[in-house]
Amino acid sequence: MPTDVVMPQMGESIAEGTIVRWLRKVGDEVNRDEPLFEISTDKVDAEIPSPAAGVLTQVKVKEGETVPINSVVAVIGVRDTAAAEEPAPNPLPPSANVASAARVASPQPVKNPPTGPAAVRSGGSAEGGRVRSSPLVRRLAREHGIEVSQVTGSGLAGRVTKKDILAYIEHGPITALPTPVTATTKSPKPAPTFDADHATVAVPMTVMRQKIAEHMVASRRTSAHVHSIFEVDFSRVQRLRQAHNTLYEQSGAKLTLMPFIAKVVIDALRAMPIVNASVDGDQIIYKRDINLGIAVALDGGLVVPVIKNADEKNLLGLSRAIADLASRARAKQLGPAEVQEGTFTITNPGGLGAVFGLPIINQPQVAILGVGSLEKRPVVVNDAIAIRPIAYLTLGFDHRLIDGVVADQFVGHIKRGLEQFEAPIE
Amino acid sequence: MPATTATRPSDELSRDQRLELFYFARLTRDIEERLALLYRQNKVVGGLYRSLGQEGESVASAYALAENDAVAALIRNLGSVIVQGIRPRAIFAQYMAKGTSPTHGRDLNLHFSHIPNGDDGPIVIGPISTLGDLVPVMAGVGLGARMRRRRLVAMTYIGDGGTSTGAFHEGMNFAAVQKLPLVVIAEDNKYAYSTPVSQQMAIPRIDQRAEAYGIPHEMVDGNDMLAVYDASKRAVDLARQGAGPSLIGVDTMRMRGHAEHDDMRYVSKPLLDAWEARDPITRYRAHLIETEVATETDLVEIEAMSRQYAEDEAGLAEADPGPDPATVADGVVAGGHFQPSVEIVRSPFRVKRGASRHTQPTVVHP
Amino acid sequence: MAKTTYLEAIRQGLAEEMASDDRVYAIGEDIGLYGGAFKVTEGLLNRFGAERVIDTPVSETAIIGAAIGSAYLGMRPVAELQFIDFVACCFNILTNFAAKSRYRWGAGVPLVVRGPCGGGVSGGPFHSANPEAHFLHTPGLKIVEPSTAYDAKGLIKAAIRDDDPVLFLEHKLLYRRVQDEVPEEDYVVPLGQAVVRRPGDDVTIVTFGAMTHTALDAANQLAERDVAIEVIDLRTLSPLDYETILQSVAKTNKVIVLHEAQRTGGIGAEIAAAIAERGFEHLDAPPVRLASLDTPVPYSPALEAAFRPSVEQIVAAVEHLVEY
Ligand SMILES: Cc1ncc(C[n+]2csc(CCOP(=O)(O)OP(=O)(O)O)c2C)c(N)n1
Ligand SMILES: [Mg+2]
Repeated sequence: MPTDVVMPQMGESIAEGTIVRWLRKVGDEVNRDEPLFEISTDKVDAEIPSPAAGVLTQVKVKEGETVPINSVVAVIGVRDTAAAEEPAPNPLPPSANVASAARVASPQPVKNPPTGPAAVRSGGSAEGGRVRSSPLVRRLAREHGIEVSQVTGSGLAGRVTKKDILAYIEHGPITALPTPVTATTKSPKPAPTFDADHATVAVPMTVMRQKIAEHMVASRRTSAHVHSIFEVDFSRVQRLRQAHNTLYEQSGAKLTLMPFIAKVVIDALRAMPIVNASVDGDQIIYKRDINLGIAVALDGGLVVPVIKNADEKNLLGLSRAIADLASRARAKQLGPAEVQEGTFTITNPGGLGAVFGLPIINQPQVAILGVGSLEKRPVVVNDAIAIRPIAYLTLGFDHRLIDGVVADQFVGHIKRGLEQFEAPIE
Repeated sequence: MPATTATRPSDELSRDQRLELFYFARLTRDIEERLALLYRQNKVVGGLYRSLGQEGESVASAYALAENDAVAALIRNLGSVIVQGIRPRAIFAQYMAKGTSPTHGRDLNLHFSHIPNGDDGPIVIGPISTLGDLVPVMAGVGLGARMRRRRLVAMTYIGDGGTSTGAFHEGMNFAAVQKLPLVVIAEDNKYAYSTPVSQQMAIPRIDQRAEAYGIPHEMVDGNDMLAVYDASKRAVDLARQGAGPSLIGVDTMRMRGHAEHDDMRYVSKPLLDAWEARDPITRYRAHLIETEVATETDLVEIEAMSRQYAEDEAGLAEADPGPDPATVADGVVAGGHFQPSVEIVRSPFRVKRGASRHTQPTVVHP
Repeated sequence: MAKTTYLEAIRQGLAEEMASDDRVYAIGEDIGLYGGAFKVTEGLLNRFGAERVIDTPVSETAIIGAAIGSAYLGMRPVAELQFIDFVACCFNILTNFAAKSRYRWGAGVPLVVRGPCGGGVSGGPFHSANPEAHFLHTPGLKIVEPSTAYDAKGLIKAAIRDDDPVLFLEHKLLYRRVQDEVPEEDYVVPLGQAVVRRPGDDVTIVTFGAMTHTALDAANQLAERDVAIEVIDLRTLSPLDYETILQSVAKTNKVIVLHEAQRTGGIGAEIAAAIAERGFEHLDAPPVRLASLDTPVPYSPALEAAFRPSVEQIVAAVEHLVEY
């Protein structure tokens, strides 16, 4: 397994080091602990020994260059297979000494003791009939001659917030429940306006909305929906992304998660044609082509552009196709053919933080894959707790055609494919 | 303070004991050598403070203790805890901040303790970084032992720099008036960080610090392992008999920077060269061959065994997992689940050191 | 203007004051020939000689004691503690002797005690302290902690010119990681003045030292979600600039006090209490403290990361306040 060689931290305040001299060159065999390069820092000059035996396959930092501590400066590959240079599977990024990196690298399973608001808050929305507000709200209410109890609260547990009272002062009483504003999303579209006499207002659906409504209900009625959820470790994919992103950027593409997922899904579909099929009466229709749909959220709706013959594309090709379709979907520039003839769909409810979703099948397909949010989670590896990038994958499948075992084999295929990703990257 | 009897305590050491002394010194150096590599590979977290050139005095002084005595090492006294049986793997785990270390990654290098119940094995007290504090604390260990009617001896170390702290003075003085069973090894290794001894004290010999406390003291060649053993053994015996504390000054040299990140450009090359020629392990090795205690083959075998053991132990520790962040807040006060422990091991020589074989007082109270 | 590190800025400030006022001198362990454990005083011995750059034994009480005595005779000592943790050794002489001197006798002690504080570098339990709370409770002693190179220079100069004892905390994480454009002309950053590092309307974060940078990182993330954070960098911890804090709270109505020292009895408690007392009617949510856990500073990087406040925690606390 290749090993990364890092710039060591020689002294508590040291942030960077300069490579003075390489004692070995690319292609040289090196022994573990044998001097590899010389560094110079603000405090000391030192010879740095190799962390592993093997062949020096890559020198990333030239003599005279200065890099932050913990930067990878070289890679030691395995003898013989040195050419098949792969990034080292370090369980943790090696940068744990740098405060900012450490923050990113380590989860915060232990939160500080409950901070103010959570600890202070208690019980329901009004204690003994008293409306929850704040000192500021009460002062503003006093100054404007308002009863706080007249104001509808949008805060936690119905608390009247500064926003509520300011809105009240400006617009007078409103009767609809205001939309709670959360920190995690941009404010939604302005709420419809109500007139003083009506508590509701009717607005026609857009065509897209009507279509979605129809399709979703029809799908629910048609398929016997079952969902199966798998936990997938994205360590390897993340490492590959990091290692190759620059290369992709140079060719104008971006190496996101989606192409990796698409790639293994395609492999799985090829291995299990029953998932790349549909039901017609009492016939099973198998499909030769793998046309992969990728759901894209739009303002006020969603669309599923399709990558035709997706199995003919390599990772870079998939990556380009996905980026292209998504951006044209958002710009509403897709041709009708580009949203038809899908044989399988991937949707990404994790984009806004959902751990997993239970997606509805895109008819007449028989399965759909939902990708939950990718997050660092503690997991048990070899009886030790490790921190890994994890996402939950959900397969929604049609039990008319696909049984639980088959579905699980299919997702298992995807899980393995992602955890041991092997397709050529370039 | 010269010995008044002609026989030296070291005369009574068996062949196995002499070889064991060699092994411990060698192992100390091999562990540190391994740590130095791990440090440069960025696996040792924080700093590395080596005892290169001083391994002999740490080992030989602690060797004068009985198995269940108490020792408190400073960061340069790895040898003393190795003698008392702390497993090397635990040391490596400490330096690499592993979850399996004696502090579960909470503190560094030799900052850990081992305090068995009753008279069951060695007591090891870890330092804090604040210099000088171990002296009053180990005086207290001696006091506690006396109150519990245990005949144990407490030994600790202090650098030339550390002797300038108020804590050192208060601890020495207290031990002296209380006649506590304390042996303090004061190491004149020529520097405290970058500060030479001449800037640390205006007396010619570090052991003269003891004059002010009215306790026995002597100065020994710190790179002569048997000389250090002799002086330490006399002091340990005195302490065990209830004659109070002693201070032994060791004349030695710190052969590396204060820590690995210090290139010690303030130390002159001739000074280093002179001390290089007096390396304690090399000298003791030559002595073993000269006195026909061992052959070259015997020693090569011990050296290989030590190196391999250090490497194996380092490998084990390296593979250990890091601490679990979920435990970070546990055990600040009693009632938690934080219960670290250290493994005590015996050397392959399995020499049992008795409580006190050499009981004749050989140092005279001034 | 060339970029200057935080460390270099402190050295410049000290050297400039030594050059312009020969009452100013430096004293501490390994500060002369060696240039200090972190090299803050590198080069000063050559420039000013051994009489004004004094290497001492390992004797913290002697260092501060000698500094106090010389200050009585008109000197302006700048004492270095190799790590600020060892200020514990001279706690008595600093709080009882130096800080009470003016009050008891009218004899001011123009002393600066400076040293590296703070964690995030795996320094372990004895090389990571943030001791401000121990000294906040000492009338007569000022406390300063810069977060930028510009401030570091301006504040060390102001501290040296100040007629009372000043504890000058230098965050070691910032020494070589933070760089600014630092003017060559003489300037000071007056003691007792906080600064708004980033204006915003939604939530105020009051902080200082290395946490200023953590807060700014969090503010950047939150800006992407349309939450505007106002970050106040206190710079001087005693006396506190309540005016700047209260003005900001009057605008945002929600406040987090963030510091790296342990939570209980920390400076955050004092600030939060003052806000509750003096800014009650401006609050739309209770003041929140974010600080390290109430444990000694652990050594392993994973443990220390769990111990210190993180960007994620700040973001979570802000989200909670926004919803509150
Ligand atoms: C009270 C205190 N002040 C300062 C330090 C910083 N410091 C750590 S080791 C050291 C030098 C110690 O020299 P010495 O006592 O001679 O021991 P040696 O390193 O030579 O073994 C100093 C000043 C400290 N640990 N404690
Ligand atoms: Mg010394």
